[in-house]
Amino acid sequence: MRLPRVTPLSLLLLPLLATAATPALALAQEGGEAARVNLLSPNVGLMFWTLIIFVLLLFVLARFAFPPMLAAVEAREQALLDAIEGAKADRAEAAELLAKHRAEMDNARVEAQRLIADGRAAGDRLRAEMLEQTRVQQQELLDRARRDIEAERDRAIAELRREAVELAIAGASKVMDHNMDDATNRKLIDRFLSSLPTTATPAL
Amino acid sequence: MTFSGVLALTALLLAAAPAPAVAESAPQSFSVGAMPALVLQAMVAPEIASRPGESVGAAVNRVEADAMEQSGNGAVERVDIITPHITDSHELELPYWKAPFYKAVHLPRWKPVMIGGFAVDLSPTKHVVFILLAAVLTMLTLVGAARAHSRDHRERGVPKGFAGGLEAMVLYLREEVVMKNIPHGGARYVPFILTLFFLILFANLLGLIPYGSTATGNISVTATLAIVTFIVVEVAGMRALGAGYLKTIFYWPSDMPIAIKLPMTLIMTPVEIVSKLTKPFALAIRLFANMTAGHIVVLALIGLIFSFASIASAAPLLMAVAIMMLEIFVAFLQAFIFALLSSVFIGQIVESH
Repeated sequence: MRLPRVTPLSLLLLPLLATAATPALALAQEGGEAARVNLLSPNVGLMFWTLIIFVLLLFVLARFAFPPMLAAVEAREQALLDAIEGAKADRAEAAELLAKHRAEMDNARVEAQRLIADGRAAGDRLRAEMLEQTRVQQQELLDRARRDIEAERDRAIAELRREAVELAIAGASKVMDHNMDDATNRKLIDRFLSSLPTTATPAL
Repeated sequence: MTFSGVLALTALLLAAAPAPAVAESAPQSFSVGAMPALVLQAMVAPEIASRPGESVGAAVNRVEADAMEQSGNGAVERVDIITPHITDSHELELPYWKAPFYKAVHLPRWKPVMIGGFAVDLSPTKHVVFILLAAVLTMLTLVGAARAHSRDHRERGVPKGFAGGLEAMVLYLREEVVMKNIPHGGARYVPFILTLFFLILFANLLGLIPYGSTATGNISVTATLAIVTFIVVEVAGMRALGAGYLKTIFYWPSDMPIAIKLPMTLIMTPVEIVSKLTKPFALAIRLFANMTAGHIVVLALIGLIFSFASIASAAPLLMAVAIMMLEIFVAFLQAFIFALLSSVFIGQIVESH
């Protein structure tokens, strides 16, 4: 803030104006103490002092009153502007962070869903595998049991047949009541047995 | 102020009037004796109005008794209380505790100084003293406020109290008056406009207090301020326009044939010069007339109090109080208008290209 610089032209103007005003004043002072009062008659002395006082006051105020006050106000305005700018920057930064966090959360959610889906698929696969395995094992057990049963049956048939031979021999020897040599008997029985159907029948 | 207070004050004014001149003046005439205008003005001041007076009944009795006494006395002395109050003088009326409650102090008379062949009387007058007083008060107020303002800023970050209020005025004048009217380079003129405003404001307000005198009600003071403004306006024009400043004096339209241009210049140049000179003239007359007129109205109303010298005096008394309140507003308004118009004139010439 600066005062208007005094230009040479203005220095020229000042005495011009002063002299222009003076005749009127001299006229006014002649009538000085007369009864008629002219409110419009200027007084050069008063004008001179007014000018001096005004200019001095202007210099004092322009140096000691307005600059410190306006500087303080401008500093405050600047501080406010800075605060506003800072707040704007903070807000932008926060928005950026929020967007980043949101993106991260979305990623995490997708990831979690993928993991869940994967887990579910793995579980399904595992269950299917285990079911399959169980069924195979069961089949194996069943097969083995069936084979065991068949073997047992065959053995039981053979056993039964031998038992029948024994019984037949014993029965025949008792019925015939005479002692034949063992070899002849056995031959006889074998002939009889071979006349029987060879395969085991369910009727047996 | 209550009605009984008004009555009591009226009674006080009449009963406790210092000089017998009041009693001698006839109620019909518009003269109030040798009572100084300043003392009269002091009596409408609020602190005296609030002084506890007699009871209403006693006051009315006193007023009637005074009226009877006055009508018996036929002598009429006409004293002009208005002219001394609104004109300048080489005397200063200082407050005094004894009747007539003022003491005239003669200011020194110096021998006229010869300046440029004219004898100029530089001896101080009442209005010199009051414009000086206004300047000193302005300086103390503003510099003190600026210091408090800076201190508050350092300590709390924001100003408080009076300095804060003053800051609001300064900022308003800077932003709304100076910068609005002078958008380019207006900051340079802020101290000038602010100084004008505060000096005129203090000078206006000094005229409203008892024993005060309105320096801005003197054409010499307002003319000087207007001439200073005129110089600042023209210098601002020269600075902003350079050689183009001459166009604000000599009308020279560039888009006309020379046959029209020349007569136009001859006709319009005096008009331009007159319009330049009219602005400071209007500034000076406006301030001077406003301040003088307000004081004349207040003094006339106070004169009516003594002319009526009866219970009817309450009416002009109330009106005088109301006009005084209006004058406080006018003191601010005229200072503001002077500052505003100065800014407008500077803005006009600076932005005229």
